[in-house]
Amino acid sequence: MSPALILFLIVVGAYLAAHVAFEYIGKRLLIVSGAEYILLGVLLGPQVAGIMSADLLKSFAPVTALALGWMGAIIGSRFVLKNMVRVPGVTYRIAFVESAVTLLLVAGAELLLLRWLFALSTPRAVGPALALGTFAVASAVTGIEFAAQRYGGRGPVVTQLRVTASVNLFVAITTFGILLSGNHPAEASSIRPLTTTEWTVITIAIGVVGGALFHLLLGDEERVDRLFISLTGMVILVSGAATYLRLSPVMASMFFGLLLVNTTRRRHEVTAALHRVERPLYFALLIVAGASWRPSAQPAWLLPVFLFVIARVVAKLGGSRLATRLNDMLPVLGPEWGRALLGQGGIVIALAVNYLYQDTLALPNVVFSAAIFSVLLTDLASGRFAASVLMPRGMPGGAEAVATPTAERA
Amino acid sequence: MRRLIILALLLAGMGLILPLGARGHGGQWLLTFGFLVVAADAVGRLATGFRIPTIVGFLAAGVVFGPSGLGTISADALRQLAPVSSLAIALIAFLAGAELRWSELRSRGILILKILASEMSFTFVAVAGTLFLLRSRVPFLAGTDDITAALFSLMFAAIAVVHSPAVTMALLSETKARGPVARTTLGVVLLSDVAVILLFSAVLALLRALSPPAEGAGNGVSMLGLLWEIGGAVIVGSVLGAVVALYLRWVRRELFLFAILVAFFGAEVARLTHVETLLAMLTAGFVAENLSPHELGEALRHAMERSAAPVFVVFFALAGAALEISALRTLWLLVMPIVIARLVALWAGASLGARWAGATVDERRYVWMGLVSQAGVAIGLVTIVAEVYPTRGSEMRTLFLAVLAVNQTLGPIIFRLALSRSGELSPPGGAPSDAASAPA
Repeated sequence: MSPALILFLIVVGAYLAAHVAFEYIGKRLLIVSGAEYILLGVLLGPQVAGIMSADLLKSFAPVTALALGWMGAIIGSRFVLKNMVRVPGVTYRIAFVESAVTLLLVAGAELLLLRWLFALSTPRAVGPALALGTFAVASAVTGIEFAAQRYGGRGPVVTQLRVTASVNLFVAITTFGILLSGNHPAEASSIRPLTTTEWTVITIAIGVVGGALFHLLLGDEERVDRLFISLTGMVILVSGAATYLRLSPVMASMFFGLLLVNTTRRRHEVTAALHRVERPLYFALLIVAGASWRPSAQPAWLLPVFLFVIARVVAKLGGSRLATRLNDMLPVLGPEWGRALLGQGGIVIALAVNYLYQDTLALPNVVFSAAIFSVLLTDLASGRFAASVLMPRGMPGGAEAVATPTAERA
Repeated sequence: MRRLIILALLLAGMGLILPLGARGHGGQWLLTFGFLVVAADAVGRLATGFRIPTIVGFLAAGVVFGPSGLGTISADALRQLAPVSSLAIALIAFLAGAELRWSELRSRGILILKILASEMSFTFVAVAGTLFLLRSRVPFLAGTDDITAALFSLMFAAIAVVHSPAVTMALLSETKARGPVARTTLGVVLLSDVAVILLFSAVLALLRALSPPAEGAGNGVSMLGLLWEIGGAVIVGSVLGAVVALYLRWVRRELFLFAILVAFFGAEVARLTHVETLLAMLTAGFVAENLSPHELGEALRHAMERSAAPVFVVFFALAGAALEISALRTLWLLVMPIVIARLVALWAGASLGARWAGATVDERRYVWMGLVSQAGVAIGLVTIVAEVYPTRGSEMRTLFLAVLAVNQTLGPIIFRLALSRSGELSPPGGAPSDAASAPA
């Protein structure tokens, strides 16, 4: 069967699964979907049915890279500075402290375990440990938004959750991008190897120059189709450039999206255009991720996976509580708001796929497995977590009151 | 000025990025694709500043940045992007088919057939005659006897009558023209694809019978294969179109994704069943449009146009990159008479055919101008000849590509002029123009 037909069947299958089977199951069992596409990928991949072979997955690499970049651009488009400056500074402080605590706690725990379990040197173990730390930081936005819409989208807790989720994403993507910059393979053509800082600057520059080019390209053009061509072309170019240089397309595109949304007069059209293409690319990414999974050859590979899940829960709950306490905001936010940050969303899968495709970093399958397992677990209940935090006091039942958002996004 | 800055920045960026990465590593495909979309779009919009159609700009970008120009896009990268061309052809053909309503075909079918028959006949005779007269200068005819020269001239002419649905559709999408000249031109161009395949096969069969290939290479086209290629395309396209219509009626969701999948799947099925892709997708578009309620068909067309926009840019840029400019430099003394003869024949044939069919004054005057462009289908046909007659065929291919380079560049400019003169160009930001022409 030709790769094109396989891809077609996969996407059709995913679509039908999304809108027929899983929507029904999701409403019944109150599951936030996204995980089912990963499972579909696992079923189709080399580990089970073998319909998607390893070579076929390799041929999808450009589509995967584009999906990573597109997600990065969408995340970047969330950072509208005009709205961000209206939020009190303490909200950001809490968010950054929570992100830092989560990153350090999970990365530190994983570093210790990976060094001991797989007899890795510290420099070698830092890569996978830091990657897991960044995955732990990321929080899904969709569950929070859904619960906020359901129970009233205002109040300090909702604001704190929204800002923290956004900051989590920014920190996760930037840290991951720096990780890739620091582990960049030396190129034979260069006079001297570029430093981590230089590669990081290049990553950001790709996004910034892409944003500038977009404005030059679009100019005063009013037509929607012209905007779409310019936007698509630039996202492809930015993602392609970052992927070609073996940097993070998510980070480069995030800065592209960030610059775009803060410098264009047509912000709503730009974000609408970005969201229009998001779903098919997101489906394809999740399915490819599922199909790319395979158990690690390392013994006891499940231990770091379990540690990741547990450490992340502890870090999110403890880190949010600590950050709130340090900023004297416990009476306003309460101690439990961090529970709504437990959902992870598709960005973790995107970063994990990016990690998997790098050949300079250790334990790719362990790291990838940890990400997938964690997303599968947390996505099942992220809607309920958020609802339990935002539901007004005295309202009967948690689960019955929560409907299910489908197609979980970053 | 702004576009020039964009191009300068792009080239500078590529110059900085390419040495830093590893060629052949994943990501080069995406980088090349992104560069082509942005660069070709910038050149295309630069072209509109000179009142030249954007697709000419896309072609020019391909020439400039392709292997025969600056070499920013390597030949290897072009080969990797070939699937994009297949997808583009499928999208174009579907959209073209969706433009045709059954009621319109019934009312204008005879008109289109008469113009088609007339212009094809004139062009066929004119191009064959020109080549035959110049046979001593033509590489693949020099030194042959008169009968062989005549046969190969006919073969070349059978390919030279090809038009370009891609250019026609792209220009109509860009200009939003919907008047009689636009619609008649589209009808002639779409039907000519079927006619050309029939004519080509007949002439090739005659050539093989009277001048058997000495090298014995290639099988050419069998009658049964040809019948399946065309008939099967109609069957496959009809089934696909019916499925699309059912989807629009009962599901109606995710049209953007569905549009891409239809093109993808349709092209793949056509390839696997060995039917003509263009005709299959054309039929699919026609059936889907005519079986669906109008507003649903319109919604799918809009979704397809949106998804197709970046693909079209790359398609024409790739077409430009594949043009044999070097061949044009060496063969221009031969190319120009052929081009001129074809132009004159198109004018005479289309005008007479329109008069014969009782068309409007504008159709008589301007339809021929929309028939000048030539397409990649012709490259496929001349490649078949090259497989059957390796030596003569490859020389014929070289000459044809040089002729194609001129027609593909001039064609959109002339067609746009025709739409402008007939008053069918919509004003900037305005509604599509359905300017009615004076009756015959």
